[in-house]
Amino acid sequence: MTEDFDRILDECIDRINRGDNLADCLSDYPAYSEKLKPLLQSMHDVQKTYTFTPSADTKRAARQKFHAALGKRRQMTPVLSFFKVIPRPAVWATVAVLVLAIVGTLVIRPILNSPTLVPSPDGNFAFLISDEPNDIGDFESLNVTISRVGLQAAGSVRRLEFTPETKTVDLTQLQGEHSQEIWRGNAPAGQYSQVYINVSEVKGKLESTGQIVDVKLPSNKLRISMPFEVTVDTVTSFTFDITVVATGNNGKYILKPQIGNSGVRQEQKLLE
Amino acid sequence: MNIGNRKNISRINEYETRLSDLYEEYYDKIARYVYVHISNKEEAEDIAGEVFLKALESLKSYREQGVPMQGWLFRIAHNLTVDYLRKMNKRRTVPIDSVVLQGNDNPANTAEKNIEFEWVTEAMRQLTTEQREVINLRFFGGLTSKEVGGVLGKSGGAVREMQRAAIEKLRGIMGVER
Repeated sequence: MTEDFDRILDECIDRINRGDNLADCLSDYPAYSEKLKPLLQSMHDVQKTYTFTPSADTKRAARQKFHAALGKRRQMTPVLSFFKVIPRPAVWATVAVLVLAIVGTLVIRPILNSPTLVPSPDGNFAFLISDEPNDIGDFESLNVTISRVGLQAAGSVRRLEFTPETKTVDLTQLQGEHSQEIWRGNAPAGQYSQVYINVSEVKGKLESTGQIVDVKLPSNKLRISMPFEVTVDTVTSFTFDITVVATGNNGKYILKPQIGNSGVRQEQKLLE
Repeated sequence: MNIGNRKNISRINEYETRLSDLYEEYYDKIARYVYVHISNKEEAEDIAGEVFLKALESLKSYREQGVPMQGWLFRIAHNLTVDYLRKMNKRRTVPIDSVVLQGNDNPANTAEKNIEFEWVTEAMRQLTTEQREVINLRFFGGLTSKEVGGVLGKSGGAVREMQRAAIEKLRGIMGVER
């Protein structure tokens, strides 16, 4: 009997903790309601007395400190621990692989050095896409699907990658001053030298005919080499500008990164 | 890299992500948990922030054996709170001015809140240490009785029993003194 009551009291406390009200729990257990009510009322009195909402400023500062420490760990861990724990013969094998990678087989590098960054609404790094108008006027819509974005650390082979939260952007909506944030999260503080995006699909609808056309993208990757810095206590917004240009009079188009309009900016006009 | 080491690194990476996910949900709860012990909101907030940094530093030692990560965070909070109280050499009495007041409170409300705070604090003080910890983790930490059992090394049934006894005691004290 007592065990039953303990269990019911426990269930009601769980329910109240999740936001249910006291009356609902009492009505579910009418046989126990007389005994339950004063105890749950006491719980309410105690919670009310001590409950407070921590200051938003203090919480924000603590969050930044935590994410900075997390970023620092992530910056250090993959490379250091990789060499620390690897057995000796494997070290030589790895060195050989790296040498090969440096002299030509650049494919291996991303596999070894591409930790994934975690998105966060309060992160210190935002990534935006914009479009410099060249031949975008030919399109009614031009949807670009971005599967991954990578940041290359300066003076290092280290790369960090993230998956955009918004994967498909319509470049016709992002002309000129317009841009769209596709990811926000925490990036380790430091100097970076290059940003690249992996594009998995580009579908354009021509304004004149309504025809759907594939827009070519050599190697499915767009890169912009540009030095920039990410710091812990500021939000760095990187805008990657893409432009579409006609390749002649053959009705074909290609996508190109537009370095002149890309880079770190403090203020961007974001699409709602 | 051998499989064991690779697994270890990926386990720590997974724990880092999970800890980061728990931040938003548990920062406030941990701050309240600490506040119940130390009766100082600003210090409680600072300690809550410290809990996550300490957890990050100690992730290597975290093992998921019956204690979920949120329970482990409260263990860290408990240890930091004990350190704090030891450092402050503070007796657990509540200064009347430690109750945070709203700007539009009138003096009568203020006095009433202070009395209420002292009255509940006094009732809490009369619980055993374990009962107080159960109440604190359940009411302010939002942990389930099973999770509290993991933190305190008790069975869920034992926690439920302690919880009922503690609330009955609180009810008795508060009911009589009210």
